[in-house]
Amino acid sequence: MPSMKNKRFNLLLIAVVTLVALWSLWPTWSDYSLSKQLDSFASSQDSLKYVMSHREEIESARKKSLKLGLDLKGGMHLVMEVDQVDLFEQKAWNKDGKFAAIMQNVRAKATQSDARVIDIISAEFKSENIRLSRYFYDIRNSDQEIVTKLEKESEEALTRAKEIIRNRIDQYGVAEPVITTQGSRKIIIELPGVSDENRVRNLLKGTAKLEFRLLSEPEVTIRTLDRINTYLAQNSQNSAAAGGVLPVSDSSAAASASLPPGGTPPLAPVSKQSSAKPLYDVISVSPYGTAFTAERSKEYVVSLLHRSDVQALLPQDTELLLAAKPEEGKVGEKLYAIYLVKKSPELTGGVITEAKATFGSQSVQPEVMMSMNSEGTSKWARITGANIGKRIAIVLDGAVYSAPVVQSRIPNGNSVINGIGSLEEAKDLEIVLKAGALPAPVRIIEERTVGPSLGADYIRAGMLSLTWSFCAVSIFMLVYYKKAGIAADIALVLNILIVLSVLAGFNASLSLPGIAGIVLTIGMAVDANVLIYERIREELAEGKSVITAVTQGYDRAFSSILDSHVTTLSAAFLLYTYGIGPIQGFAVTLMIGTSASLFTAIVVTREIFHLLLAKNLMSNKSFG
Amino acid sequence: MRIFQKTNFNFIRYRKIAYGFSVILLVAGMVSLVVKGLNYGIDFRGGSEVVIRFEKNADVGQIRSVLDAAGVSGTLKQYGMDRSFLFSTVFQGDTGQLKSLVSNALNARIQGNRHEIVRIDAVGPSIASDLKWSAVKALFASLLAILLYVGIRFEIKFASAGVIAIFHDILTVLGLFSILGGLFTFMPLEMDQSIIAAFLTIAGYSITDTVVVYDRIRERIRGQKPSEYERIFNESMNQTLSRTIITSGTVLLSVFVLFIFAGPAIRGFAFAVFIGILIGTYSSIFVAAPLVYDWLRITKSSVRLRGSKIS
Repeated sequence: MPSMKNKRFNLLLIAVVTLVALWSLWPTWSDYSLSKQLDSFASSQDSLKYVMSHREEIESARKKSLKLGLDLKGGMHLVMEVDQVDLFEQKAWNKDGKFAAIMQNVRAKATQSDARVIDIISAEFKSENIRLSRYFYDIRNSDQEIVTKLEKESEEALTRAKEIIRNRIDQYGVAEPVITTQGSRKIIIELPGVSDENRVRNLLKGTAKLEFRLLSEPEVTIRTLDRINTYLAQNSQNSAAAGGVLPVSDSSAAASASLPPGGTPPLAPVSKQSSAKPLYDVISVSPYGTAFTAERSKEYVVSLLHRSDVQALLPQDTELLLAAKPEEGKVGEKLYAIYLVKKSPELTGGVITEAKATFGSQSVQPEVMMSMNSEGTSKWARITGANIGKRIAIVLDGAVYSAPVVQSRIPNGNSVINGIGSLEEAKDLEIVLKAGALPAPVRIIEERTVGPSLGADYIRAGMLSLTWSFCAVSIFMLVYYKKAGIAADIALVLNILIVLSVLAGFNASLSLPGIAGIVLTIGMAVDANVLIYERIREELAEGKSVITAVTQGYDRAFSSILDSHVTTLSAAFLLYTYGIGPIQGFAVTLMIGTSASLFTAIVVTREIFHLLLAKNLMSNKSFG
Repeated sequence: MRIFQKTNFNFIRYRKIAYGFSVILLVAGMVSLVVKGLNYGIDFRGGSEVVIRFEKNADVGQIRSVLDAAGVSGTLKQYGMDRSFLFSTVFQGDTGQLKSLVSNALNARIQGNRHEIVRIDAVGPSIASDLKWSAVKALFASLLAILLYVGIRFEIKFASAGVIAIFHDILTVLGLFSILGGLFTFMPLEMDQSIIAAFLTIAGYSITDTVVVYDRIRERIRGQKPSEYERIFNESMNQTLSRTIITSGTVLLSVFVLFIFAGPAIRGFAFAVFIGILIGTYSSIFVAAPLVYDWLRITKSSVRLRGSKIS
């Protein structure tokens, strides 16, 4: 028998653990009962009054209560990837054709393997026998130094991207978003209770790279388009003679050049192989030098503009960009304007300090007013002053929002984006402009969205499983082990309480896999008791007294219990380490439950038996 | 109450039959894995999945033809029991587009039976390969950890036999997943992350049962002659039989409840764990301990066990 002191310590420990568990779960209970009470009010006025008078209580309960996971509450789980290839391309200088070719290889490889982009880059350059310093940083740097610098750069970019995304989400207003980074290029975003997923998605994926770029003169635009047209006409004649396939420079252009679903457009580019004016079949040019393409051929035009042989025909340092929003043509068709703009921007969005979505002064068109910092203001004044009468395009993420003619010098650093579809969109623009531009494009590589109704179903299913599993196991223990079963059941209740309270205390959330972990724990937690009780039965069968049997039962079963718990724990721990998202939830509850059962099944039940033995309430029959 | 009164099965004598049974199970599974393969879920294959729930009963064929007509290609299956359908298609970065495409088509063509899109999952190909790798890593790391731990607590023969038993259990479940995959509408039995969680749970639990038997053998084998080993192995297994069965029984009870109540998202997991624990209980008696016995017999070595009983 343990000494008196030891026994008192165990009792104290049990009391403390129970109290801490209850205290940690108290806010969850009060949150639950408060929301029950709120639901019971007949009118919304009553419930509002109640909320106003109990505000603090409700808020603090909610803050400390057990959080439900995204799958139970409904919401979005997103994994976004920072485009490192793009990031590294930005860092390079004196880029030439060779560089572009290598980077294209890198991009192709990066999408296929999950090796680090930086490793792919250095391997590619090595195989081409080109030193990284030819394009990156200082010519005197060794490859290793440059790799280290680029690595640091990408780390910083990831952190910055995370902060910017957090800003955007905060401004949009999502309660309790969780944003974390994973590895060298992934950002994980958890947004509980988001109702308008589409808007959030758009808000997150844009780079928000704002640029002010000079437009080329109309004559230049017309001449350039003519040149492309002639080139395409020649090319298509050649290829029509050769094999009758549309000439495409690379496979990606071929893929995107395939026709959009929904029938063949009358201006079908593919069928017009031998047309004399292949470009002007899909683009119309007004006499003022403004080019347009219809919505149905937009995809084809975009793929055309991305072809490197077409890009080679453009004047130095320019590119052709499409408008962000279509304009309505004469017969109601949707037309996208095409602009020839300078490649290097006059000014970028970094100088924007404030953005505000409003309605324009003359129209009902929504627009976004922007103001700049002092550096931007003086630059803007100089640029506008030097280009009066010319057009400056406002480009966001590669799409032209508007291209107003500069009327006069703008001294106060104000500018406006118009050509926005709706006020909601203007508000989103305001958010992304304020949050700043992402260092590199990001894209969604994983998304899991659970609607609130399914979440409610999951909760119901989880509660049912918990209840039935608890009933089944605890009744079995009672039937099989009689009085000793009561002790095991008390330990089981305490075990579940501990799991929930640890989750609540550490602000972890409970998900459906987490509930599955608890259900499994219920089955496993009594294992330790089964091992002990079976051992005690054996000792009793050998004719030992109850007191000796209990003591030896606990002692002799201990080593099997320890071994089995350690193995289960290590499996759960590895699952937690290598698992992602939902699986971690399962691993966490299984780990807590298994560890807790070492305490509840061994210490708690033992103390119960000591109490019962001391009161002479145990006999040979007590273990069934 | 007692399920097993003093038993006296000669497990060791009939071990060859058990070996034969296990080999048949494993070979059948392997053949199916090679011939039929596994159904991968989107976690490992990449793709998009939409769960659509209707207000009233709906016909799979009708929905399928409506989606086909709208130009959304993919496969549609019954999902769970409650008027829900799972539509899976290739990965699309913009799930919003997919959602509105499906929604518009159903709204236009199926009137008088409102639907709701309750869940969308999209997993890109690069994530899918990440997930696959971390699953494999987790599995092998846990097997290694178990091998080390049991090796330290007992000895390497016991540890190896235990890990072989785990392999046996996991491969059997994997084989069953291949054989039964796609046969039941209420559980698709697709390989996804949750099945990996199931495998690790099985691994942890299979060794638990095995350790209980080992522990008893260790307790009794100390200082005994190798000629006594058969008797000691048999007696140890008989003595631990009821606790092996009951510990597994309580877990099976819980997992069965999960299978019934926790819904289609958990069903594949519950099925895997249920079968895994059944097989794991069998293997700890009929595979792990007999393997140790045979190993000792063939190498004619005696047991030098670490770890001592605490008393």
